[in-house]
Amino acid sequence: MKSAIVILAGLCAATVQAATPADLLTGYHTAAAQQTAGFQPSAQRGAAFHTRNFGVSAKLASCASCHTDNPAQAGRHVVTDKPIKPLAPAANAERLTDPAKVEKWFKRNCTEVVGRECSAAEKADYIAYVTGGR
Amino acid sequence: MDKVLIWDWPVRIGHWLLVGAFALAWITGESEEWRLVHAFAGGTVVGVILFRLLWGLVGTRHARFASFVRGPRAVLGYVLGLLRRDESHYAGHNAAGGWAIVALLSLGLLTGASGWLVYQDSGGEWLEEVHEALASGMLGVALLHVVGVVVSSLAHRENLVRAMFTGLKQGRHDEAIANSRPLTVVLLLGWVALCAWWLTR
Repeated sequence: MKSAIVILAGLCAATVQAATPADLLTGYHTAAAQQTAGFQPSAQRGAAFHTRNFGVSAKLASCASCHTDNPAQAGRHVVTDKPIKPLAPAANAERLTDPAKVEKWFKRNCTEVVGRECSAAEKADYIAYVTGGR
Repeated sequence: MDKVLIWDWPVRIGHWLLVGAFALAWITGESEEWRLVHAFAGGTVVGVILFRLLWGLVGTRHARFASFVRGPRAVLGYVLGLLRRDESHYAGHNAAGGWAIVALLSLGLLTGASGWLVYQDSGGEWLEEVHEALASGMLGVALLHVVGVVVSSLAHRENLVRAMFTGLKQGRHDEAIANSRPLTVVLLLGWVALCAWWLTR
């Protein structure tokens, strides 16, 4: 049973496109630069975005509501009280290695917290912030 | 044929509880604000199904799996009969519907189990994909079940949706169940509440 799960997990992992956080940042950077010439990701803008109260959801006011002010810290789901692993790849090596997963959660969380889908520029800034780059 | 009592109370309450809980779980699936409600709805689905599995062994006549799970020949015969518009009426679940029940119970249990593991953060992203695929499969079978209910209702001129509320269906008197088992509903609701509470911890 256990070996079957390992094999299944391996198969799934093999079909998932492996990437590094830097690849993801490059991807969103390129997409944003196509919309706005000369766009440069900013960790500072990402940090401001992380703590901004979007006023859409009372409970999930900002990213920091669940993920805390520090992306390197474990978070806590404000509704279920379940622990959330750190966003920063420095503290959680699994983060930002699966582009499909990143896109899925940007879409879900942006829709609910920001009230719309996030732009490529916002995603680039955000990844620059949580990876601690600039 | 007369209208006789076919579906007991636990079957009927369980059915509509499953409909409501699955619908609620489906619409709250992508929201974090509704995550607790989603998990509670999923726990309700699991609770109803576990109860139904036991009820399928010890429940009233038409609730028992042995009375409605039939071989592929019977299913094909029923479907071809519908197409030829000849009467092959079943007092309980028809041969095709029986398999929809089995599929829905299986998918519901697997969706609930995978969802619980995701909720406990025991699975990775792949398990979440599995959970979503299972839920989509369950929605697909549920819609197919509804289509089957409409087709069979028209073919037999019998409102099967109403039957799931009243428990009354066309049948011979010797096919009727003697007791609608209303008190067992208390057991069902208590068990479901326990499951929903325990699975959302």
